Amino acid sequence: MLSLEGVSVRYGGLSALTDVSLSVGEGEFVTVIGPNGAGKTTLMKAISGVVPLSAGRIRLGGQDLAAVPAQRRPHLGLAHVPENRQVFSGLSVLENLELGTTPLADRAQSAGNIEHVLDLFPILRERTAQLAGTLSGGQQQMLAIGRALASTPKVLLLDEPSMGLAPSIVDMIFERIARIHRETGVTVVLVEQRAIEALELCTRAYVLTTGRVVASGSGRDLMRSEEVSRAYLGA
Amino acid sequence: MTDLLPSLETVLQTLATGLLVGCTYGLMCVALGLIFGIMRLINFAQGDFLMLGMYFGLAVLSGAGLGATIGPLPALIFAGLAAIPVFFVLGWVIHALLLARIAQRRGATEGEAHQTQLIMTLGISLVLSNGALMAFGSTPVSLNVPFASQAFILDPLGAGDVLVFLNEARVLAAVAALAAAGGLYALLHRTDLGRQLRASADNPLAATYMGIDVVWSYRVTFGLGFGLTALAGVMVATYYPFQPYVGLDFVIVMYAGVVLGGLGSVMGSFWGGVIIGLVQQLSTLVLPLQLQGTTVFVVFLLILLIRPQGLFGRSVERA
Repeated sequence: MLSLEGVSVRYGGLSALTDVSLSVGEGEFVTVIGPNGAGKTTLMKAISGVVPLSAGRIRLGGQDLAAVPAQRRPHLGLAHVPENRQVFSGLSVLENLELGTTPLADRAQSAGNIEHVLDLFPILRERTAQLAGTLSGGQQQMLAIGRALASTPKVLLLDEPSMGLAPSIVDMIFERIARIHRETGVTVVLVEQRAIEALELCTRAYVLTTGRVVASGSGRDLMRSEEVSRAYLGA
Repeated sequence: MTDLLPSLETVLQTLATGLLVGCTYGLMCVALGLIFGIMRLINFAQGDFLMLGMYFGLAVLSGAGLGATIGPLPALIFAGLAAIPVFFVLGWVIHALLLARIAQRRGATEGEAHQTQLIMTLGISLVLSNGALMAFGSTPVSLNVPFASQAFILDPLGAGDVLVFLNEARVLAAVAALAAAGGLYALLHRTDLGRQLRASADNPLAATYMGIDVVWSYRVTFGLGFGLTALAGVMVATYYPFQPYVGLDFVIVMYAGVVLGGLGSVMGSFWGGVIIGLVQQLSTLVLPLQLQGTTVFVVFLLILLIRPQGLFGRSVERA
């Protein structure tokens, strides 16, 4: 469904990603874990097309994305839940969700998708008229996820949905993500610093350290592996 | 003693004129505020856009002779309605050929992009005003429509001793301004396009993730801002003689109104413009006419001291 071959990204003279290759099959739940500064967010931005590649190629459903600008990628079924949520803070909750349906041409489908999101996150239904910037962090995260789901994506990119949230909220968010994957069959790429929870959720995982993939395998295997301990514990 | 106080008639007359002029200012401010609010771009060429609108009005009414063939009022309405699409396209082209290109320079940060765009609008302003000087000359001209010297007469007390005169040209301009500002409000808040424009302003990165072409949004915004300013120009031209540098008479008012209403609050800009109009006119009741401009600045400074975020602005900056 989604594949990266030898992807490198440079910011000025700094190398953020070096020769990253990974593949995600249809309906898979793939996690990328790694410490701070490993290049996880850059990886997501490269897939979304908001940072340019210095080398390599990215394919979505067999199509090379090199010629597809960032704002056209959602129309191909790519939805990005960005780091720090990035909700439209001056717009209402409902407007945020409506914006999520931008890639869809069918209004009836858009309305149906929004209903579905509001069923998934009932707290948002109570607050449809509220400005998104006034929501709590957890609610903003639900909104960011809901906004991405509203486009019926084929691939859902989740960039650190746990960031800055209380543990109980994180558990709830992870539970919803698992449910979304189970019920809709959407392909999920989750980038997380919280390795243990993220590895439990996924079918496969990659470990990213200083811009390189240093390990990959099933979540269970990685949890026991030495590289993971090294990446996280510095051992 | 009573001679020193302005009469009721004078107060009402000034209030009415202030409101009428203020509505027209409001439209100019809305156009400037739209460009700033959505693109975060300070447009130095705003006054020249207004000037072009005025000459467009002249071209339609006198140049094309529509004023004589279909009558001045239909010709004026036609000129106002035509100004919006004509200058929308011109704004679109200016953005595509100049502003977007300079912003997309390789490696430019967002801040640098805004600075280069700001300087670019200054350049556009110089080219437009001097180009107009070459094309139209420096002699002031006016539209010479009959309703500029006619007035609706109100009798607010019903007794016939207090009469308020509303200049017909100013009433028309105010009505057009209210309609255009209302239309813009509906566009921004009731349509998919408006929602996309607001999303592009609120969080350009997230808007891109939603599949919105943010540069396209800015282009539409710049075109709309140009079109609305040109409409204001057509309407003002009916009662204000103009020459290629006429924009300077209005830019101060526009900036003051936008800051007054709160930078980034598009509809706040309208009320900012109305307040400027009222202050300007009401000041003539107690101060000599020459100090009209000064009072605008005094009120402007007071507001900045007391409420720096503007009357309708939010103090929370965007992230």
